[in-house]
Amino acid sequence: MIEYTQKIRETAKRLLSDGVVDVFIGYRKGSVPMMNEPVLVRDPGDVEVLHWDSNCGLNLCNYLTGRTDKVGILATGCVSRNIVTHVIENQITREQLHIVGVPCTGIINHRAVKRAVKYREITEVVEEPGSGRFTVKGPGYEETLEKTGLLQLNCATCRHRNPVEYDELVADAVPEQEDIQEFKDVEKIEAMEPDKKWAFFERAISSCIRCYACRNACPLCYCPTCFVDESNPQWVGKSIDPTDTMTFHFLRAFHCAGRCTDCGACERVCPVGIPVRQFTKKLNKDCIELFDWEAGLSLESRPPLDVYRKEDPNDFIR
Amino acid sequence: MSAKIFSKDEWVGVLEGLKDDYRVYVPVREGDYHNFRVLEAGTRPSFDFQNTRMSAKFLAEPQSERMFVYTLDEKDPDAHILKEEEKAIPPLAVVGIRPCDAYAFKLVRRNFDTPDYKDPFWIKRYEATTFVGLGCNDPCKTCFCASAGSGPFDRKGLDVLLYDIGDAYLAQPLTDKGEALLDKAAGGKEADDASWKTAQALTRQVAGKISSRVPTDKLKDKDVNELYGASFWEDVAFSCINCGTCTYLCPTCWCFDVQDEVQRLPMAGDRIRNWDSCMFPLFTLHGSGHNPRSQKTERVRQRFMHKLKYYVDKYDNGIQCVGCGRCVQFCPVNIDIRKVAEKMNSL
Amino acid sequence: MEPGRLHFSWISSAEATKFVRVANEVVQAVKDAGPAKRLIKGIAEVA
Repeated sequence: MIEYTQKIRETAKRLLSDGVVDVFIGYRKGSVPMMNEPVLVRDPGDVEVLHWDSNCGLNLCNYLTGRTDKVGILATGCVSRNIVTHVIENQITREQLHIVGVPCTGIINHRAVKRAVKYREITEVVEEPGSGRFTVKGPGYEETLEKTGLLQLNCATCRHRNPVEYDELVADAVPEQEDIQEFKDVEKIEAMEPDKKWAFFERAISSCIRCYACRNACPLCYCPTCFVDESNPQWVGKSIDPTDTMTFHFLRAFHCAGRCTDCGACERVCPVGIPVRQFTKKLNKDCIELFDWEAGLSLESRPPLDVYRKEDPNDFIR
Repeated sequence: MSAKIFSKDEWVGVLEGLKDDYRVYVPVREGDYHNFRVLEAGTRPSFDFQNTRMSAKFLAEPQSERMFVYTLDEKDPDAHILKEEEKAIPPLAVVGIRPCDAYAFKLVRRNFDTPDYKDPFWIKRYEATTFVGLGCNDPCKTCFCASAGSGPFDRKGLDVLLYDIGDAYLAQPLTDKGEALLDKAAGGKEADDASWKTAQALTRQVAGKISSRVPTDKLKDKDVNELYGASFWEDVAFSCINCGTCTYLCPTCWCFDVQDEVQRLPMAGDRIRNWDSCMFPLFTLHGSGHNPRSQKTERVRQRFMHKLKYYVDKYDNGIQCVGCGRCVQFCPVNIDIRKVAEKMNSL
Repeated sequence: MEPGRLHFSWISSAEATKFVRVANEVVQAVKDAGPAKRLIKGIAEVA
């Protein structure tokens, strides 16, 4: 996707020069491989810092909350859906935004790449424009890899690569992936006996250090004070006692029900590699099955948990 | 006592033997990375790593530590009295710690062990620990230890320094504690001249491999208010999501929060201290509701000013950073302390 | 969550008998489940 970079710079320059937006939110090239840095550009003269490639994994929607100016923002499929959710939840108005859509072919899974090169140090990752390949370089080696097999897990099963809401696109739409078995992993967990299921999640969070990177990387987590930070009453203990850690992860997931776009930011940022999406994904599946709902597809419809519809399933009520 | 050589074949056995005298921590592969774990039955030490994901600071400052226990049961004559939790801390040995991470204990000590204030919990654990460091043959591209008062074979924080000389480790005792540990280590043989030559060549060769240089020479002479008011902070902080990755992975970040928990019945509780992070808004929230660092730019500035300016001014002994590069590698939004240091140094 | 611990019901204020029945069923189900086995915090598991 590195070939989008030039067009993104031109677009940002035009929008800033013409006064269409006050600021432009995008990415600049990171100082370490597979890690780019979100950046805010104010001056049309600064657009050269903007960069795009398959390592723009943090959800830029995070940076919209509470803004009062006119904002230009880059949005892939999932980011655009989070922006829609933000608008629906009154975190920003649509009129404030100029959404520059980025048809996305997926973000590189930095952990999978490290595994692919057998944990040798990676000093540089260079994407070949338009080829779907990238080259990994390190001390004494160089390997060219195909992106398709090394996508973030959420990207591998993504059905909304193209932005759903935008003012302009930086490139033609990309083909959506078909015949995706999106919930195979969830089904596997669903099939477990309750005790095994419990053990699965207990193990999943056993390395958690409560740094809250998952929560803070999530555009849905914009509460002024998160429930884990409340002290009166204090809902959750702050130590690394597994009961408290579990409570944090479960409750956070439920707070995302019907809102999560599976952008994968939570899982990407976890410094200890917790499969954070396993907590939210089951709820995404439930939303599809119970309410025929996927978050952020339209500005017109309300999310399932804030409307009552006669056809809502109710067999759990006795 | 002189240095010893242990062949790699006998190495794990040597560590197993130390278990009688120490609680031994070794690097263990967990999924995609390494961490220090206690050597127990079934633990498989793995020395095939550049550095552990978490630093070893937990040895002296566990992420959560119970300090006191108490009861609120009015019928108990000791109601409301905090009693120090009795802890038997056995001698600890951490084997394979990187020299930078060991040096970090020296920096952190400036807060926990001073003439005026002594933190009994930290000191007890620190003093119980023997640091057996493993020199770095392959420093990462993000390592800047050489600019941070440390280095790939830095001895300052260590009791024993191990050189990986191919099919063996050359173990050089640096302190009495280190000698005591090597005394107890079974096997090995006295180091010969050839091994020493290999080790020395290694040291010279690796020094040239530290490619990251971070200028810190002008920080001391900068005016603190000028740095504080610098225009670059907003740009530096823009991408920050205020998670605790940088601070929790950092070997020199030591801030904690003290919490009372009442969980057990009847009305008994614990006073626990937990790692805390200056990136969290809660870190500075006053009881009044006022927050002196309510904005993320203020928090990000605090982290860098603390490490790169306030410490430099207060102790006149360099920055509060050992250049391990964890925050550089794992910051989810790529805020790079090397770039920030450069900005501060060249203001 | 352990099975049998979560119950939902919709009972109108006019449905006293339903309320009694459901309340009894819930109590019985919880008794059958016995003391909670998960997410019980005793002494915090810390160092």
